[in-house]
Order: sequence, then structure tokens, then C-alpha cells
Amino acid sequence: MPAKFDLNDSSVVVIIGSGAGGGTLANELAQKGISLVVLEAGKRIEISDFQNDEDAMFGLFTWLDPRSTSGSWYVAKTSPDLPVWICKLVGGTTVHWGACALRFQEHEFKTRTRYGAIAGANLLDWPIDLKEMEPYYDRAELKMGVTGTHGIPRLPASNHGKVLFAGAKKVGYTQFMTTNMAINSVPRDGRASCQQTGFCVQGCTFGAKWSTLYTEIPRAEATGKTEVRPESQVLHIEHDKSGKITGVVYADRTGAMQRQKARIVAVAGNAIESPRLLLNSSSSMFPQGLANSSGQVGKNYMRHMTSTVFAIFDKPVHMYRGTAQSGIVMDEARLDTKRGFVGGYQMELLPQGLPSFAQNIVPNAWGRDRASIIDNYVNVAGVWLIGEDLPRETNRITLHPSRKDHYGLPIPNVHSDDHPNDLAMQKHAFGQADALYKSIGAKRTVHRLPFPSTHNMGTNRMSEKPQDGVVNRWGQSHDIRNLFVSDGSQFTSSGGENPTLTIVALAIRQAEYIAGQMAKGAV
Amino acid sequence: MPPDEGVDTMKLLNWTRRFSRRGFLSGGAATIAAVAATGGTVLADAQSPSDMPIDREGLRTLVKFTRDLFPHDRLEDDYYAAAIGSLKAEAEKDSATRKLLLGGISELNRLAMAAAGNPYADVADESVRAGVIKQIEGGAFFTKVYGDTIVGLYNNPNVWPKFGYEGPSSAKGGYLHRGFNDLDWL
Repeated sequence: MPAKFDLNDSSVVVIIGSGAGGGTLANELAQKGISLVVLEAGKRIEISDFQNDEDAMFGLFTWLDPRSTSGSWYVAKTSPDLPVWICKLVGGTTVHWGACALRFQEHEFKTRTRYGAIAGANLLDWPIDLKEMEPYYDRAELKMGVTGTHGIPRLPASNHGKVLFAGAKKVGYTQFMTTNMAINSVPRDGRASCQQTGFCVQGCTFGAKWSTLYTEIPRAEATGKTEVRPESQVLHIEHDKSGKITGVVYADRTGAMQRQKARIVAVAGNAIESPRLLLNSSSSMFPQGLANSSGQVGKNYMRHMTSTVFAIFDKPVHMYRGTAQSGIVMDEARLDTKRGFVGGYQMELLPQGLPSFAQNIVPNAWGRDRASIIDNYVNVAGVWLIGEDLPRETNRITLHPSRKDHYGLPIPNVHSDDHPNDLAMQKHAFGQADALYKSIGAKRTVHRLPFPSTHNMGTNRMSEKPQDGVVNRWGQSHDIRNLFVSDGSQFTSSGGENPTLTIVALAIRQAEYIAGQMAKGAV
Repeated sequence: MPPDEGVDTMKLLNWTRRFSRRGFLSGGAATIAAVAATGGTVLADAQSPSDMPIDREGLRTLVKFTRDLFPHDRLEDDYYAAAIGSLKAEAEKDSATRKLLLGGISELNRLAMAAAGNPYADVADESVRAGVIKQIEGGAFFTKVYGDTIVGLYNNPNVWPKFGYEGPSSAKGGYLHRGFNDLDWL
């Protein structure tokens, strides 16, 4: 039974957001008997609302509130109003995600030590390491049912995967397989197995893909300890004279302002909205924004080096058939500075339906050449190149000086400039993907620079020392004991891997800490 | 620093508008009929240019222009007529859009007359029409038509089979038993 808590109940934990971080944290705390309220800005829909329709689902679940962009990054030119593609609904971006569930590598937790000082980058070691994370990765993989781990069988290779693997083999790669996916390869945990629909990122109509919408959230509610309030957008976090958090102010579904008291607040609104909320919660005591004595809130925005190579063959591939991102080549994920850059990248399948492919393949271009690529749609294969990008203080989320949202609050501006390391990696990745596809007969390859970012990290980063970052090793604010960050904004580095598994593992770990601190009366 | 407000950044798609236009996108056949039905409109003398509807010749020019932007020999004109349906509907309601489209059509014809002595839609040589497009590329008319028709053309389910795209699969049990791994040429 979902719980119902009074607005003046100051004993509850308030979690802002219900995606990979917030949704997981909610269930983990509820299972420990802790009372909590989840405030989610978006609506609550169900699996039966999902459609195999790229345009309809984009409209149904995308966070479309106004945002602005600046900087030299490609997305600011091609999609200035929509710099990131993340979701606004119960379940957050776990409804949309492709479900690649990869662990970070050892060196990616220690970038400052392993990479050294790099000009123009704000590198810092995480205060935690892989060894400390491993038990939580195990628990995250078991929770999510990640294929290729803990005896869970891998998914079968699709046509699209067969093409990737044949090319990988031909150029001498050895680490290629159907990816570790949080998608059931066999029925598991009360959910069906993958039916190869091909519309993973429009919401899995069979529920085979893990999403907090239909796993963590209902389970949290079933404890009787959790109340989820959809269409409740938090505008301010409030504190008392001692600086302790006392609650939040949010706009409910009617637009009316409500004040929910809280013992603890955990922010999990994604790496754009989380720092925006902290900055918008400035007060006379915290004029730079909450949890911001370091000045790092909003800084170090990372979005991964991403680009895509599409290859045209003279025979059919039908890339849209089957689990979308189920194939991976991991050979380039290693740290090997002989390639001319630090960090590494993954090569992951990235199919698109005809509408998305045709609309996005060559931005702003027209005429015969562009049309000829689309004419070959059935014969196209595509691989997404995703690698570590470096934190920079100047890549950041700020409050827009004049533009306001419909609540009268400053909208976020997303600024990013590519670091030379990102560009060197991108160039290498394009070359390798070209070679891979051409080795098995691709007639032509087309390079596509980044789409709006789905991986957003680093804007409330974790640090050992309070002056270097926003939160400590538990995601707890260095400045305010009862304020936590529970999403990808706490990442100290981006790694070369899709971030969700690490967000979930951190949330499981954070829940243990919060429960322990509450039991001790420390928060 | 955030960008200056009001700067018209060139963009591939107005992503945030895609969703509100969906109602139109599912209605291809009705749109074709609506385009065809506008042929007999009589203009009153007193109308200023921005009050005039887009006439049959204007629509023919837009169809040709859209085909030149996204030229697929496998698609008949009906699909391009469907793709301009949202523009036409918007122009009927909004005088600024109407003025933009009428001005753009007039400019296409003026440039085509200068280059080949014929209105745009009557220039037979595709490369000459492409030369005309190059002269207006990136302008307000080009950007508006490009952004609307690229969605209207490729998001039309009737177009998908022409490119071999099989589309939604859930109702058919996914692609699990319908060829997800039937590739045999490697």
C-alpha cells in the first residue's frame, strides 16, 4: 500500500526525482523501514502507455522545459533548445535508457593519479575505488538482472550485432559480445524476457528492460513506507538558522505551492536540474547556493565523448530489428596513452528507426547526397562511440541571467567546450569504426557528431576534501549533513561507460549509509 | 556566457515542436485531399499579400522545393504534398507564416526566372533548381520549410515501407520471430 504523509511530518526522508538514483534510493530505504516521500516533477504513466513510436514517446516523456546552451560543442549549434535528452516522468530516464549496464574500470576512479595533471581539465580522484564499489555493483546487477553477470545468460546477437562482431573480428579486436544489459534474456523477477521489439528507448512494452517505474517504485510503495507524488516539481530546498535542511517547497499538479517538511533531503534530478535546484535555493546564509562552499556546484559538467558512425552496405542489415544497444566492442576502453589521449571509449550498437535516422543523419544538409544515404536505410549499420570526457570548471550549469521558467525561476544554461583530449579520442574512434566497417565491405561511412546528451554527470561532484567538490564519499553534502545528492551529478569522472549501473550501485551504498546515520541519530 | 536572446541559431530540428505537431503527422491522406481542394480559390482585389491564401501554383512550388530538399525518386508527389500539409495548415491560421511562405515562393520564382527563364516549379534541370536553393539556404523561409517538412515527410507511416522500414513491432510480438537475426551474407 502506498503511504500518505502529512506535509508537516518532519520525520520523512524526501527524495527529489524517481529515476535510477532516486527510484533506487527510495526502494532501498523503504525496505529498511524508513518513511519517505518521493517528489517527481513528471507524470506517472504505465507500460500500457508506451508506444513503438519515436515521435509520440519523445513528446510523452521528454523533459521539455526551457533550457539554453552556450560553448563550442556541436549540440549548441544543432539543438540549442534541447541540449540534453532526459525524461520527466515517474521512473525518470530509466524509462528511456538503452540498458547497457557496465562497471567503471579501476583507473577511471583515480583519474588525477593515473592521468596526471592535464591543462584545461579539473581532474580529481574519486574518494572511493573500484574495490569498494564491487559489492554494490554485484547488488545492482542482481537487482537489475544484468545479462552476462551472476550466471544470467546474454541476449542473442541481432543482425546489427552480427555485422559489428564480424567487423571487430576482421580488424583483430577480441573483446566483443552482446553487452551486459539490464534487459531480461529469460523471464526473471516477475518480468518477461526480451522480444526483440527494437524500441527499447521508447519504453519497453514487454517490461523486459529494468526501469524504476515498474520495479523499484512499486516495491517501495508495497512496503507501506513510501508516498510518490508525481507532477510535483521542487523549486527550493529550505534550511533553518543553523543551516540544517528543514524541507522543500514544490509546485503540485495544480501549480499550487506546497511545503513538505523533511528530516533528510536527497536530490536526484539529473546533472542539470540537481545543481540548478541547489543554485536556485540560495539564501542569505548560503548566497552561492546550497552545498556550494567549494564553488563547484554546477561545474565539471560531463556528457561523454560521443559520436556515431553509420556504415552503408550493399546487403540488408535491418538495424532497427531487435534489442537496440545489445552489441559492444570493448577493446578501445583501455587506458593507453600511445593512442594520443587519456581515457578510453566503448563501441556500442546504435540503431535508429527510419524517422529518427532520416531526420538526423546529416544536420542541415539537403539534396541528392543526403537522400542517397536514406535510400540505403535498410543496408545501414551504426555504432555509437562513447568515451570518457574530462571535467572542466568552465563546462557548467549556470542560472540564466534573464530567462525564467513558468514558475519564475531562472532556467539552466548548459555550457560546454570540447577539451582537446575529447577531440583526439573522437578522431581515433571515427578512424577505428571506419576501419571496422570497411573491413567487411561497407561502401561508405557517415560520421555523426553528438546528439543531445543522455549521459550527464559531474555537476555536484564527490571529493575527499570539502574545497574540491560538493559531496563526500557517501554523496552527502560537505556543508550540510542532512542533504544528499543521489544521481549522476555526484560523479567525479565520467568513465568510458554508460553511467546508470554506477548510479544504481551508489544509491544502494548510500541507502546503507543514510539508514546507519539515522539509526545513530547523526542526521 | 549564455547566448544572446533572439539570435536565430541554425538548427536541424525544432525538437521541442515535434510533439505538438503529431496530430497532423498521422493524417497523411486527409492532408493530400486538403491540398488538392484549394485549387479554385478566388482572390479579392482588396486583399494584401499576407491575407492571400497560398494558391495551387504556390503549393506546387512548395512540393517541388520539398522534393528538391529530400529527393527520393521512389516517392510520388503525394508524399511531398502530405509533408507540406502542416505548413499549409499553419499558414491558413497564421498570417506571419503565410507571409513567410508567400515571400519564399516568390523569391524562388524570381531566382529561377533569373537563372533559367521559368518559374521554379517549371525549371526542368534539377541542378539549376539546386543552384537557386543554395542562394536561400539558411534563411527564414528555407529553415521553416526544412524543419517542418523533414518531420512531415519521414514521420509519415505511409512512407516507411518505401524505405523497407517495418516500424512498430510490439503488436506482432517484436522481431523475435520476424527476422531479428536472419542476416546470412557475412
